[in-house]
Amino acid sequence: MSGSLEAVRPAGPLQGLRTWWTMLKICLEERLVYRGDFALGTLMRFLPIVTQVFLWTAVFGATSRGDIAGYTRNDIVAYYLLTMLTRAFSSMPGLAGGIARSVRDGSVKKFLIQPVDYVSFLLAARVAHKLVYYAVAAIPFALVFFLCRSYFPPVPDATTIAAFLLSLALSFLLGFFMEVTLGMLGFWFMEVSSIVFGYMLVQYLLSGHMFPIDLLKGTPTGIAGVSLADVVHWLPFEYTAYFSSAVWLGKVKGAQLVSSLAIEAGWVVVMAVACRVAWWRGTRRYSAFGG
Amino acid sequence: MARYFTIFLTFARACLVRDMTFRANFILECLTSLGWMSMNLAFYLLVFTFTSEIGKGTGWSKEPFFAFVATGLIINSVVQAFFMPSAEELTEMVRTGGLDAVLVQPLDAQFLLSMHRVDFSALANGAVGVGLLAWAMSRMDYTPPAVAWLLYPLLLLCGVAILYGLVIMLAAATILMGRNQSLYDFWFYLTNFSRYPAEIYSGPWGGPLRMICTFVIPILLVVNVPARVIAQPFTGESWGSVAAAVIAAVVALVVSRVVFQRALSRYRSASS
Amino acid sequence: MHNTDPAAAAPVAEPIIRVEGLAKEYRVFDKPEGLAASVRALFHRTSRVVQAVKGVDLTVGRGEFVALLGPNGAGKTTLLKLLSGIITPTRGTATVLGHVPWERADDFRRRFALVMGQRNQLWWDLPAAESFRLHQEIYRIDPARFEKTRDELVDLLGVRKLILQPVRELSLGERMKLELVAALLHEPEVLFLDEPTIGLDVVAQHTIHEFLRDVQRRRWMTVVLTTHYMKDVAALCERVVVITRGDILYDGSLAEIVDRFTTHKIVTLDFDEAPDRSVIARFGFPCEFRGPQVVLRIDRSRIADVLPGILGSAGVRDVSVEDVPLEEIVAELFRSDARAAAVAEASR
Repeated sequence: MSGSLEAVRPAGPLQGLRTWWTMLKICLEERLVYRGDFALGTLMRFLPIVTQVFLWTAVFGATSRGDIAGYTRNDIVAYYLLTMLTRAFSSMPGLAGGIARSVRDGSVKKFLIQPVDYVSFLLAARVAHKLVYYAVAAIPFALVFFLCRSYFPPVPDATTIAAFLLSLALSFLLGFFMEVTLGMLGFWFMEVSSIVFGYMLVQYLLSGHMFPIDLLKGTPTGIAGVSLADVVHWLPFEYTAYFSSAVWLGKVKGAQLVSSLAIEAGWVVVMAVACRVAWWRGTRRYSAFGG
Repeated sequence: MARYFTIFLTFARACLVRDMTFRANFILECLTSLGWMSMNLAFYLLVFTFTSEIGKGTGWSKEPFFAFVATGLIINSVVQAFFMPSAEELTEMVRTGGLDAVLVQPLDAQFLLSMHRVDFSALANGAVGVGLLAWAMSRMDYTPPAVAWLLYPLLLLCGVAILYGLVIMLAAATILMGRNQSLYDFWFYLTNFSRYPAEIYSGPWGGPLRMICTFVIPILLVVNVPARVIAQPFTGESWGSVAAAVIAAVVALVVSRVVFQRALSRYRSASS
Repeated sequence: MHNTDPAAAAPVAEPIIRVEGLAKEYRVFDKPEGLAASVRALFHRTSRVVQAVKGVDLTVGRGEFVALLGPNGAGKTTLLKLLSGIITPTRGTATVLGHVPWERADDFRRRFALVMGQRNQLWWDLPAAESFRLHQEIYRIDPARFEKTRDELVDLLGVRKLILQPVRELSLGERMKLELVAALLHEPEVLFLDEPTIGLDVVAQHTIHEFLRDVQRRRWMTVVLTTHYMKDVAALCERVVVITRGDILYDGSLAEIVDRFTTHKIVTLDFDEAPDRSVIARFGFPCEFRGPQVVLRIDRSRIADVLPGILGSAGVRDVSVEDVPLEEIVAELFRSDARAAAVAEASR
């Protein structure tokens, strides 16, 4: 990868573009050669949703009400499918662990020596990886969404779609900066994997990966009039899975949509600054202690 | 047979010594599996705030359902502790040629390859499963007859045997293909179907799915049969499913054995 | 050039390894490079058949110490894997200790051992003593005998202190020594060694040579070894089997290989001071000047004739006559075979 480090060296836009293209091609080749069954793997990732759909069908079959927390059965199915899409943007497999490892084994040193900004480099690499991923995963995604089209409500209006796309883009950035910040903790802690694990647990429960956050509206927190859903609303997690799906399904509208997008953007800024600060302080500490 | 048991104990002891050498890591792994499990339990609790039963008239209300979940935890923790770590390592052994060293030893290769690593941290979930089962059973109005209690451990073993057969067949595929990443993903997704009562698979899509997962890949018998025996009324019909589970277990063991031996004879060894 | 020298296998009382027409073929799939090619490869994979071992005949008697030599990819390790039953051949027969290896009978597997220099067979995180115990169980070694054998082997190699230390903390040489101990605990009658000294320093190599020679003689063990180090061969093996491209090129004694494939002797002359080059060059042999020292390569057939004349040159203080180094002989053997193959290929 050392060749592609040049990608972020400010050596004129043309040079940057060319190395970017090289990096993209390498990523694509890697996927194609080593993951010939990659598309099949993506399809299989929808299998757990099948069980979820049957589970919720059974739950709806046993109650007399037509909706749970505002979700009909079809809404639930559509919700799970949409979270798959959202998470395709926000999840960053191996990012935090990779950063922590490069700190531990010292390979991060080269970013202290070379005229390369580490965070930008990571971002470029991640964007390339994601683009490749979408190129390959688009077909299985399209297939599943087409087969399940009857579960979806009618296509929303242009404003909602625009908000949806904006939230997806923000969720990518949010997921990225959160994981980078987490990985940077490797400068202070030897074993980051336990922290990553704790993060993943909270993420799993509170991002909406398992169920729509609206289900927590009735869960008390001990503070009068404040439900668990209200608390989660102010945390960054739900913006990596729940939020975009809820926007598409029309669960978040008007002023609430605007304020939610603002919260999400706010978290992106906070995390972007946090990971920078962590990098500066971490590298200073690193060079002071000699790694 | 006694020799194999002694050897297994030696393996287990070696793994325990290793785990205790890296104690922090061991505790972390326990917490990891406990963490994921409690997240799932929290989810089920949440679901039961919206419904009293999973599926109309199926009898899977809160306590029986948690008895079902507990049964699944126990069976899976045994498989995760005793068979999965070795099977996962097999890919690495095929890739690096470590399998060669196994094949020259005067021991059954399937035994060595499927049991030489024990992951004790996976038993943490099983312990919680036993506790959860006790809790669920004590809160249930229904008391299962003595025969159900006798059958339960046997059916747990059948469930473990069926999953073991699946693991071995995937291991065989690993030997033939030389890699396995998506195969183990596949294992995860497949066993995912066994996590809920079989009754939820109904309707035009669910019916055939239930048939396939019962008779072709008997994954639905793994947890469902033992859980039904103690958490649902025991009737004459229960014997049918008990028989099915026993037969499936035997077939799984035999078929996987044959497939594995075939795969070994076609093993080509990593080039040196 | 296929040659089996009966004299080399002379002490054969009882053949332990018999191999006839043994062949192993692999189908390999081409891994294309480049984006377009890898996309095409998704739909159509091209493959070819590689003949790793083609129709080998070999007999090894009890107590022999045989070296398998050959360039990388010649089929040495494949042959070793066939003999230890790890892989099944495409054609041909073989018996080791009266068993067909790839049937993997327990009886057979209890009687031989395989050591691979590049692979670790001991438990990585545990002391070697634990792995030894496991071996005792697996090979059903009588406890008293086990302890006696273990202590004996451990002392021979001087590694008694190391067996209680986790294997991961040991050096490569120390690990290799313990691997050897583990492999010999059940007192195998046949030992297969695949590059046992790879990556080791000279001292460790020497210790292992001494050890192997000692144990082999004491137990009258049959040993087949593959290696790239001629030091191993010179120190241990009387018989050498050279394999190239899956075929046996030479099978005979080490002495004979030197005899047959060396056309030259190396003559080193020491002068009082740097000699006149033209005087030396007059003899007409390839020569190399190193200050007061001159190294000549002289035809073996002519050495008796020309040596007196050379020694008569003014100022010769000392002389030594040596064989060409084994490395050079074997390298030349491989090279001439590769040339012959190229010629055969071209004429086809």
